[in-house]
Amino acid sequence: MSAHHSDPLQNPEVQQGSTLRFATAFLASVLFMGAALLVSQHKLPFLEFAEILVGLTFLTLAAQATLFFGLDISRAQIWKSVSLILTVPLFIISVGLTVWAFSSLYSRTMLPANEVPSMSMPMDSNATMSMPAQQTLLQ
Amino acid sequence: MQVDLQDPWSPLFGRLTLDSIPYDNPIIVGTFLGAATIGLIVVAAVLYYKKLPYLWREWLTTVDHKKIGVMYIILGLVMLFRGFVDGLMMRTQQVMAVGPDSPGVLGAQHGFLPPFHFDQVYSAHGTIMLIFAATPIMAGLGNIIVPLQIGARDMAYPYLNAVSLWLTTAGAALIMLSLFVGEFSNAAWVGLMPLAELPYNPGVGVDYWMWAIQLSSLGTTFNAINIIATIVKMRAPGMTWFRMPVFTWVNLSTSIIGLTAFPVLGVALSLLTADRYLGTDFFTVGHGGNFMLYIDLFWIWGHPEVYFLILPPFGIFSEIVPTFSEKPLFGYLTMVAASFAIAGIGWSVWAHHFFTMGMGPDLNGYFSSATMLVGIPTGVKIFNWLFTMYRGRITFTTPMLWAVMGIFLLLFGGFTGMMLSAPAINYTVHDSVFVIAHFHCMVLVVAVGAFAAVAYWWPKVFGFKLDERNGQFFFWTFTLASIVVFVPMFGLGLEGETRRLDYVFNPQWRPLLIAEEVGIVLYCISVFYFLKMIYVSLRDRVPAGDDAWGTGRTLEWMTHTPVPFYNFAVTPQINALDELAWRRENGLDKVKPQTFVPIHMPSNTAVPVIIGAMAMALGFGMIWRIWWMAGAALLAIVVAVIARSFDKNQGYILTAEEIAKFESKTELASMIAEQPKRTPLDHVEAH
Amino acid sequence: MATIAKAGPNTRLWNAEADEHDTISTRTFGFWLYMLSDALIFTGIFASYAVLSTPMNLAGGPGPAQVTNAVEGFWQTLIILGSVFAYSQATVALKNGSKAGVAAGILVAMVLGVAFVSMGWHDLAALTAQGNGYSRSAYLSIFFTLIATHGLHMGIGILWMLIMLVQIVRFGFTADVVARLLNLRMFWQFQATIWVIVYVYVYLLGGTA
Ligand code: HEM
Ligand SMILES: [Cu+2]
Repeated sequence: MSAHHSDPLQNPEVQQGSTLRFATAFLASVLFMGAALLVSQHKLPFLEFAEILVGLTFLTLAAQATLFFGLDISRAQIWKSVSLILTVPLFIISVGLTVWAFSSLYSRTMLPANEVPSMSMPMDSNATMSMPAQQTLLQ
Repeated sequence: MQVDLQDPWSPLFGRLTLDSIPYDNPIIVGTFLGAATIGLIVVAAVLYYKKLPYLWREWLTTVDHKKIGVMYIILGLVMLFRGFVDGLMMRTQQVMAVGPDSPGVLGAQHGFLPPFHFDQVYSAHGTIMLIFAATPIMAGLGNIIVPLQIGARDMAYPYLNAVSLWLTTAGAALIMLSLFVGEFSNAAWVGLMPLAELPYNPGVGVDYWMWAIQLSSLGTTFNAINIIATIVKMRAPGMTWFRMPVFTWVNLSTSIIGLTAFPVLGVALSLLTADRYLGTDFFTVGHGGNFMLYIDLFWIWGHPEVYFLILPPFGIFSEIVPTFSEKPLFGYLTMVAASFAIAGIGWSVWAHHFFTMGMGPDLNGYFSSATMLVGIPTGVKIFNWLFTMYRGRITFTTPMLWAVMGIFLLLFGGFTGMMLSAPAINYTVHDSVFVIAHFHCMVLVVAVGAFAAVAYWWPKVFGFKLDERNGQFFFWTFTLASIVVFVPMFGLGLEGETRRLDYVFNPQWRPLLIAEEVGIVLYCISVFYFLKMIYVSLRDRVPAGDDAWGTGRTLEWMTHTPVPFYNFAVTPQINALDELAWRRENGLDKVKPQTFVPIHMPSNTAVPVIIGAMAMALGFGMIWRIWWMAGAALLAIVVAVIARSFDKNQGYILTAEEIAKFESKTELASMIAEQPKRTPLDHVEAH
Repeated sequence: MATIAKAGPNTRLWNAEADEHDTISTRTFGFWLYMLSDALIFTGIFASYAVLSTPMNLAGGPGPAQVTNAVEGFWQTLIILGSVFAYSQATVALKNGSKAGVAAGILVAMVLGVAFVSMGWHDLAALTAQGNGYSRSAYLSIFFTLIATHGLHMGIGILWMLIMLVQIVRFGFTADVVARLLNLRMFWQFQATIWVIVYVYVYLLGGTA
């Protein structure tokens, strides 16, 4: 029964925390987000802008994972790290494939509307494609 | 800002009025009378034999993983029966309503169910079978067997385990209630959009469907957390990863799906809830809503969900086939790898359910090939089972028969699935009964796996075997019924019969529909043999040994039969994969521990069952828009959770002498025995 | 099974010392798993946001650029990160068993948390007052849902902190209390992680594109 008598404050996850770590995580997050904000105030080409943002976000999340959450491969944390690594692809595919699937859906199935800038469908020929046409695609 | 409804509403009863009770429908009234009679008999029996305290202390408030598992399975079997009756009604309706001249009774123009009622029946059938029958049975089996197979005392979080059970039960109770109070959804188990939106479905049916699934899926997510943590953290010493039985492995992979897929279903349903209650515009037709988004979110969960269901049966077959072939499992490592490959691929193929949406050839191509990829690990599994049987000393007990049947069904379902995953084919048979036949082959694998598992592990849990003779009758009638129902269905699907028809316009389909009806009658006979099997087994109670089949290989067969509530008197030290088989080879399988040390056990608690009851009240309040009731129930749940965190109960200690006594007379410690009252530890040392 | 060792005189069949599990780390692992599933809730919402933030979903109402303000959002980012830092510092004080240190950290975290939530609330209320409430368009529906879901998590965290303040005083640092404090730390840090993604995705990427 020694688990019940051992000192909870000696638990590795309690001992792991340190001001230095947390302060670094805090500062890194602020810095990267500040940089992202500054970048967003400049008129960059969208793709370039998005790339920079993704990079900065990745850095922020990595800093938080390792310094805030303290993920590493120690005995105390290994299974958290492994489970996170197994789950991250699911975040990416569920958002990624959804975005992909819907990215051209309107232009394939809906009335060409003037507000939609990038139409891959010929604008003139299908101007009369009606709502029922879209509803047959329901299932 | 909530949505305005047209019908009357009162603060006290919400939308609930006397008219909500369908007392004018003879089918429902009959069902109600039947259910009420059975319910009254059960209640009367409990009271007459003064079993209420026993029921409360030993079952309703228990945190023992085996009892929770048994309750899960009982819940699942009851719902399986309810779902079966729905199936019977659908088949009968279709065979009666063929062609314009077919007569109608009970207010229906054709057949005996008016369209609105028929739509509710198939919606309920799908929801119940997948979420309230298959899922609880598989969850229950995992609950019972996984801790035993890894040499643990219990699940990692016994209390959370009970919460999961009661949340699932609350969802099931709501569905049952929808029969007698109000109506059920008529928008299919998947929730057809925008049909399930308020303007097209202003009644409470969709709300019942939504809240029932929502509650139970919360329970399933918690259960997944519990299983993963148990496997990662609670393994006995020496139980390294690659000594874990395959059933434990598949529970790990399936729980990863449970953990990650169900939240997305939660999102899909919550957004629909917001649409129906608050007037948001997620899936509406106007205001920029996009109902395909619902279908996308639903199937992000939906496809992983079907693998969530089928992986446990894979594990069950992997236990049963070696036991009754008297050989180690062929290709253990590939079996483990295949389980994870299936789970991983299963997560990334969901759009094969809506190829016809119009997402374009690139994506259809991706989803098609990804879907077909899953055939590889599945094939690996099938070959592994076959090679296990090859040159084995096979005994065809009922569990083994079920397992073999499962492999056949898996082949049928798999091949037709491959056909469906080619978009060109899919465009022609999508939403036809061909799809229905495909997935019933697959879901039958789950049912068959459940029957195999129940027969296989029954003696471990209860101490006596199920009756073989009636078990085999049950097997053969069920198998025959499955063939007679579903083979014609493939044909009808290829001929173009669409799914969910309350009226079949083409008289030429009548012969095959009659064949399906014959199959359903055979199913009825198999239900009879199932009940007879249970009855005869309970009556005769032929005691089974610790290793009930004599050829068990894994840890659960090493402890006593029936399993005592503390599982293992002393935690085993694991030396090999298939520990029991290894001990048998070394002549050590009869060695029992001699000295005992005290065991720390968790105390029972009433909080989970209270949370379950409150969750049901919350659901009921929301369904009928009785705001005070929903609010009060939610508050009660929050208060219960907080109050429990202030509870100092630290469980109790089972002394070495008590264990010695139980070990010499295990009936005293068995599942159905009544244990003496305990005083809990409540000292908490602060630092 | 030829490769497997035969039993010998030293073979151990039972292990009576095996019952000691580290209950704290079992609990934090379970909570971590819960957080992964929670992350998938947010994933579902993010996917919906992506689908519902095209010009087709505005129904003539305001779009991402009109409902967000990158600079204001940055203040919120600072505040939530500050709150997380304060709570994390509380658990540094836990190392020395300092009740006062832990309580002080939690209190600062709560104040900042409340500030964050009220800023978000203010934004949504202002939009609603302009007639751009959640039922205006599908885009606004998902925008409100995203912000409100995150805010709800924050609210639960604040309530949890309140409870922990009571428990620290009443129970001291028992294993249960320490496990809860650690879980709350993960939960709170997780809110900042989610917010970073919200900020980048909704405020910066959507707001300025
Ligand atoms: C070899 C593996 C499998 C393949 C290739 C496959 C393929 C497919 C495809 C392409 C569909 C869509 C048909 C359509 O609506 O047009 C489908 C539907 C379905 N499958 Fe499978 N499947 C497989 C395994 C499974 C398993 C293991 C299960 C369940 C345990 C399952 C259950 C279902 C269900 C329930 C549906 C229909 C859902 C509905 O629309 O109501 N499938 N399958
Ligand atoms: Cu699928």
